[in-house]
Amino acid sequence: MLEPPVLLWSTRRICFAPEGPLYMTRFLKSQLLMSAVLVVGMLALPGLAFGATPYVITNDDSSFPSTGVSFYSVAANGTLTLQQQVATLGVGIGGGFFGASRIKVIDGPQQPCVYASEAGSGSIVGISINTLTVGGSANGSETDSGASNGMGLASNGQFLYASYGDSNTIGAFQLESGCSLNFIGDTSVTGVEGGQVNAIAAHENILIATYTDGTIESFTISGGVPITNGDKQISTATVQSKDATYPNSIDITSDGHFAIFGDTSTSMVVEVSDISSGKLAKTVVQKSTASINSSNVILSPDETLLYVINTQGDSVSALFFNRKNGQLNPGCTSGRIRGHSVNWSYLAGPALINQKGTGGGVYVAEFGVQSGIAMVKINVSGKTCTLHEVSSSPFANPNSPGLLSIGAFPPRSF
Amino acid sequence: MRVVPGWLGAILLCGFSVVQVAAQCPDRPVPGTVVNDPLNLTSQNGALNAQLVLAHSVDGSGYTHYCYNYSANNQVFEAPTLRVNPGDRLALNIVNAIKDDDEMKMAMPDAGKGCGDGGAMTLNSTNVHFHGMNVPPKCHQDDVIHTLIQPGSLGFQYNVQIPLTQPPGLYWYHPHVHGFTEFQVNGGAAGALIVEGMEKIRPEVAGLTERVFIIRQQFLVPWIPGPYQLSLNYQVAQAIGGSKPIIQMKPGEKQFWRVANATLQDFMPIQYQVNGKPQQVELIAMDGYPLAQTRLTDTILLPPASRAEFIVQAPPQGSNAILFTEDYSTGPTGNPDFKQSLGTVQLVTNQGNQEASHMPGASAATSERVRGSDLASQQVTAKRLLYFSEEFGGTNGPIQFYITVDGQKQKVFEPNESPAIKTKVGAVEDWTIENRALETHAFHIHQIHFQMLEVDGKPVANKDMRDTIEIPFWEGKGPYHSVKVRMDFRDPNIAGTFPFHCHILLHEDLGMMHKLLVEP
Repeated sequence: MLEPPVLLWSTRRICFAPEGPLYMTRFLKSQLLMSAVLVVGMLALPGLAFGATPYVITNDDSSFPSTGVSFYSVAANGTLTLQQQVATLGVGIGGGFFGASRIKVIDGPQQPCVYASEAGSGSIVGISINTLTVGGSANGSETDSGASNGMGLASNGQFLYASYGDSNTIGAFQLESGCSLNFIGDTSVTGVEGGQVNAIAAHENILIATYTDGTIESFTISGGVPITNGDKQISTATVQSKDATYPNSIDITSDGHFAIFGDTSTSMVVEVSDISSGKLAKTVVQKSTASINSSNVILSPDETLLYVINTQGDSVSALFFNRKNGQLNPGCTSGRIRGHSVNWSYLAGPALINQKGTGGGVYVAEFGVQSGIAMVKINVSGKTCTLHEVSSSPFANPNSPGLLSIGAFPPRSF
Repeated sequence: MRVVPGWLGAILLCGFSVVQVAAQCPDRPVPGTVVNDPLNLTSQNGALNAQLVLAHSVDGSGYTHYCYNYSANNQVFEAPTLRVNPGDRLALNIVNAIKDDDEMKMAMPDAGKGCGDGGAMTLNSTNVHFHGMNVPPKCHQDDVIHTLIQPGSLGFQYNVQIPLTQPPGLYWYHPHVHGFTEFQVNGGAAGALIVEGMEKIRPEVAGLTERVFIIRQQFLVPWIPGPYQLSLNYQVAQAIGGSKPIIQMKPGEKQFWRVANATLQDFMPIQYQVNGKPQQVELIAMDGYPLAQTRLTDTILLPPASRAEFIVQAPPQGSNAILFTEDYSTGPTGNPDFKQSLGTVQLVTNQGNQEASHMPGASAATSERVRGSDLASQQVTAKRLLYFSEEFGGTNGPIQFYITVDGQKQKVFEPNESPAIKTKVGAVEDWTIENRALETHAFHIHQIHFQMLEVDGKPVANKDMRDTIEIPFWEGKGPYHSVKVRMDFRDPNIAGTFPFHCHILLHEDLGMMHKLLVEP
């Protein structure tokens, strides 16, 4: 008869980035070898500029002793290989809000950078994707803090923004050369009913925020530091559900016409707001009982699909999206993603498999004792679709005690 | 669920400054020793008078204990078994001896009009719920909404009138301060309450050796749903080195085991195994209510707070017998409940170390029917749909645990809220309770037993009377799992306001609870 150990429930693993000269020598050799292979392989990848190495990148969000950002190389068939963790010396918290993306990839004119928030130390680190080295790190004001639930990031290409739930502030940082940042100021915010600021998203001169009480709000960011547009409102789904649903993550269409909210809910709820006026209009609600909790959403590159990560429903859904009128229509839902409740507890942030057309599906962060990245591909035929997890999924992330946010390089164009 | 609310995290950051105490808990039994029954306090001349002191301490391993201390003959006994007869009066003085020196203690809103000391519901305040008892939800009896006993007071007197119609069986008592119930039960504050007379309903138990087993659960990191230990009458069931509690029996002897699942959240498929194989036991009662007829079964699922009373037979010499709980999946977002041995049977030729108590001998079976035995034939006055649901905005929250009456707002419990359901004495209602969450929940209602009618829309083979029932998790597709039960509000004795909730205590503390008003 098998019996369990005395401790019946394992705690989170905390792993450490390999360091030291021996590791680096091995790493450099493998880097050279891998580069040669990748030069051939990446030319075959659709939508990828010549010379750019594609990555899936994770904010490892470790709380002890320090954290880092892991880079996975992407094979032609989309499978991932952990290439390197860049140690960042900051400290994460290993958890927090699902919808607040802690990573932002920017393919800037000078060089591509990835920015990762470190809520434990309150810092944001910038890493050069060309060299996989830290370019700089910045903190907000002394009182800016997201230590309880993480710091969400967003950018309009000129500024980087960070949401701090504990201090209820949004910080603004000037993007500078070498992937460094310069803090320029912050704005105090709060939800209609006192909610904490959660996720943020930016497009050109507008920044949109969600709050934990169901509030959504937009800001003008033409001057850098956000200034409210005075459109703070409780979302339609929050009102309809009598507070049992609230917007969490945000995506914005390429033309800045619509903002889309993935809601935390006991079912699958997505809301769309027309922002063509420069302000948030009342949201239109799309509900489904296909799964539970839709805290993360991401539009496909061609904006015909909205991928919905069913945080508690251990599945991924896709809704058909009409970018002209903002309408969502039922699509498809995957089967259960492998490893739920064994290796991980929640599905969290997504990244697109590729950056053109439907995106080919999504990579999804798996949060848990054994964090990893699931790969879920999509097949679309007319007005129907199917989603399935590939056989080689998931790809382990031993560097993260609780993975919530991932990004892709090159990033989506909007 | 494996989440830590922010306020709970704040308590942890405070460290053990919040758990200093004025009184100490007794040492717990050494692992690998003979399991003794709790001390029995038996009513005399129609009354049981006792004083229990709620104390609080940290043991040598750093684990937090809460305990009900009973003092007699210069000895302190933890969590005695209270034994009463139908019609008795239970006079219980509860003294809260927790040292109240925590400046950072958390508080929940109060419930308006007070009972007892009043004040805020905090980590250090307490009260008592007599789980499963059909007694009035009133101050000094079984009110948990308004009653607060604060540290430093002289004590609070419970005067509980046990109904003449109270079914004989195993009940239990535990603290029930909203927001903080789990803290005190986690440390062990729970004990058995037995209403005598089972042998009059089920003569097959007459004269048997009686054992009372209380299974408790302690999170090793205080109050965090994670690594845990189960114990049997306070003896750790899986000690380092493999020591297990020893249950003594004579070869071939039949014993009457009364087992309470007093864990925080463990769903336990209980088995009595001999040589690794589950044995048929004679199931006598569930949740303190004698079954319509004795049932043979090899597995008894006990959700948190549930009880089972059954007859087991010791194997012949040379065999290995254990009390065992099987694996139980509580769903994708629930904590796994692992199988393990709870105690090993040691076959002894004499009485052994255990001072065994025995059920009374055979007597004339009562001619009265057990309370509620006519429920199935009653006219139903109302039907309701309730459902459990959960949502998580992040790994640390915001977390919402809901139990909702269909058509009403999904909201967490607030002590000063209006009753979610209003009914009247005399009502007989059919409730369908769905689970729309990806985690199994345990439905419990105070003051009454309910009758099982259907599971997932299909009639059950055994219409047992229960006070706590599991509702399995939703798989993410297909219909929700559900139970249909018949609620019996005919007894004027239970008029008043009382709660129904999930008996996963963290869920209860976080608001998966509402009130019901039974108008006179």
